[in-house]
Amino acid sequence: MALPTSEVGIISCSGEEIPEGTIALVATRLVLEKLRPDKTVTICLPLFLAGDKNERDFAKVFPTITVDGCEKRCAQIATSNLSGRPAYSIVVTDTAKKHPQVVLKSCERLTEDEMKIAEEVAEEIAAKVDAILKRRSAKTG
Amino acid sequence: MSDEGKVAVVACAGMDKAFGSVAMLSVFKVSEGLRPNETRLIALPPLLAGVAPLSELVTKLPVIVVDGCAERCATKLIAKSGGRIRGRILVPDCAKKYGLTPGSASNVGPDGMKLAEKVAEEVASIADKLCGRQGN
Repeated sequence: MALPTSEVGIISCSGEEIPEGTIALVATRLVLEKLRPDKTVTICLPLFLAGDKNERDFAKVFPTITVDGCEKRCAQIATSNLSGRPAYSIVVTDTAKKHPQVVLKSCERLTEDEMKIAEEVAEEIAAKVDAILKRRSAKTG
Repeated sequence: MSDEGKVAVVACAGMDKAFGSVAMLSVFKVSEGLRPNETRLIALPPLLAGVAPLSELVTKLPVIVVDGCAERCATKLIAKSGGRIRGRILVPDCAKKYGLTPGSASNVGPDGMKLAEKVAEEVASIADKLCGRQGN
């Protein structure tokens, strides 16, 4: 199987039950659409879980970063169990802890402060994408 | 608060599809706005990853699933978990029915927001019937 060197996979939890899950989704989309649009790909976590071999090969084909909303780390655990060990795992609550003044409230609509946390998480993801691609590039010469 | 007598509501995550985002928005509108005390929102990843005690809930409570596309991941995953599916909504069908076209996954736009409200109303209506309650 030829491994692509130019793209990194991102799998986000969907975290419907907590605002951190929405932040994970929004941060992932910021990376996919704005920060690293040509260097990243994604797969919907439920599709990954419900899918067949094609979907399950995702983390084997792409070096993958998982983005979880909370310490349950569903995306990381599912990716490890079904496909392959993620290259990096990011948990939103780790970033949110740096902003104790921000009280996370609604899953439906992020506040301005919550959006700032999503942007910070997106920057973290983008930095990991760059690190993976740099490493791959060095390996392939 | 006990979950007894509630209706479980599950949506696909729709990571890269506008209809998926509408699916998620709609269940938030139900669980946070329209029927906060009558419904229990269930996230698929912890259910499937087995990291939270949710499997018992989906087999005990009646479940309404909202799918964002024809893959119907939410339906498949709940069925696989032995869930009692009592209501199913496919967002693209609702989009046709109401003549609404959402924007993108990250910004569903005014039509997408309106569609999420319509889907949420349909979910709430099914939940009312399942709870033996008409109208609200």
